[in-house]
Amino acid sequence: MTECLTKSKKVLTKGNYAIANAAVIAGCECYFGYPITPQSEIGEFMSGKMQELKRAYVSAESELASINMVLGACSTGAKAMTSSSSCAVSLMQEALSYAASDELPIVLVSVMRGGPGLGNIYPSQGDYNQATIGGGDGDYKMIVLAPSTVQECVDLTYRAFYLAHKYKNPTILLADGLLGQMMEPVEFGEYPYPEVDNSSWALSGAKNRPARVIRSYAPSADDQCEFLKKLHAKYKLIEEKETDWEEINTEDADIILVSFGSPARNAKSAMKECRKMGLKVGMLRPITLSPFPSKRIAELAQTAKKFISVEINMGQMIRDIKLAVNGKVPVELLNRPVGNPPSVEEIIERIKKESEV
Amino acid sequence: MEKNFIIAGFGGQGVLLAGEVLANAFMLDNKNVTWYPSYGAEMRGGTVNCEIVMNDSEDVSSVNKAQADYVLALNQASFDRFLPKVKSGGWMIANSTLVDEVKKRSDINYFFAPVTRLADELGNSKMTNILSLGVLAKISGLTSLDTLEKALDNVLPPHRKNLLPLNCKALKIGYEYDLSAVKV
Repeated sequence: MTECLTKSKKVLTKGNYAIANAAVIAGCECYFGYPITPQSEIGEFMSGKMQELKRAYVSAESELASINMVLGACSTGAKAMTSSSSCAVSLMQEALSYAASDELPIVLVSVMRGGPGLGNIYPSQGDYNQATIGGGDGDYKMIVLAPSTVQECVDLTYRAFYLAHKYKNPTILLADGLLGQMMEPVEFGEYPYPEVDNSSWALSGAKNRPARVIRSYAPSADDQCEFLKKLHAKYKLIEEKETDWEEINTEDADIILVSFGSPARNAKSAMKECRKMGLKVGMLRPITLSPFPSKRIAELAQTAKKFISVEINMGQMIRDIKLAVNGKVPVELLNRPVGNPPSVEEIIERIKKESEV
Repeated sequence: MEKNFIIAGFGGQGVLLAGEVLANAFMLDNKNVTWYPSYGAEMRGGTVNCEIVMNDSEDVSSVNKAQADYVLALNQASFDRFLPKVKSGGWMIANSTLVDEVKKRSDINYFFAPVTRLADELGNSKMTNILSLGVLAKISGLTSLDTLEKALDNVLPPHRKNLLPLNCKALKIGYEYDLSAVKV
């Protein structure tokens, strides 16, 4: 599989390989990881490609080790990443909090499977909360990007590296087992973003300059207050500049479907079928889950009569939709606890039912 | 236009690979295509399947479809499991070496071909998957033999390229199999 690094030609490849290949093209210099289904192809690809390119690949002894290796590499200004899945991403939460505090540009690819606990290896979106809210301590925020096609696995991997370095903020690419295993034609092209200058902060060796320290520690309450204000001013800036979503047929819509990742594909088809039947249905697909397109959803709540959140979990994103809608109109849930997304037929059925009420 | 295919059989029969070749062919034909496997704790000898969605109008295909336009069943268990999933007016194409020629539904088209026996006659029963892919492609009329050969070349890794001529031969036998036996 390692020979698929083709920048110009269209190739048929799996979501996992697409992510790994894109990371290599984005200039990822270090990969640290530990295998777990359904994302093991990422590590497999990296194990061959990184060595071939004389970059760093370490098969870590645990996920705890791999994420902390990423922190170490990123503190030198390197582009570094790890990839994992659900129960193993749980192990990384402490390090994510430290990375947020240290303002390190780490990239974590999280390919969700069933949970809680060991769960199973079927597709899931049960880690929406884990990614967007986070399981580490303190007031921090991640940047979370959610692909819905294999091409987006490529495009958003590029964006993940760029945003992580631009804002010095830990960034998660949140995919699911279905996308990881799915094959579609993709074009890699060149890494589309400028390189970010990190010479002002990276621990690159103190020759001819004063030594630098990156640490997660503010000795006084005042220092910590100032630090948190600064950190949150950054989050505000990210929200203003980087919030992204796809929106179709919302202008006159009575019902708006909100869905991300692989179920968004079925929501889109269902929406189009319903339009053919004359039902006024629209759709909003968040591409950044954090920052969440709350502002836009609040605007749409002025004209829409109802929102339906389509997810593969017990209802997690629905909470963010409800916060945005702020009680203005009802927000319903159409979910599958784990496994394949709700089918197009199922979504159409539900839209019809909700239109009658 | 959107058409979807299910290819199913024993783990080890090469159903995922056959699906990948078909998906590659659609890509070469400049169509949108999505391939995804049944995914779980699968094993050699168990059942496995993949679905291919071909589409020349939409940019993104939906997944987890309730029904299929074409089902290719390489063993009895897959035939039984996916018979109810064939769309009314769709096709059930089955490996009659391993599947009983019983037609329980009257609203679909059947085609039974002894693909494992034909692969044996070619000298390698492992060619069952690619040979049956030839049959499936011919019946669907959605891609050409020439494109499928290029797709095979795309899919086979460098250390397996020595098997390309044999695979192309199997593909051709399937593609040129006598379809006059079809009863609609």
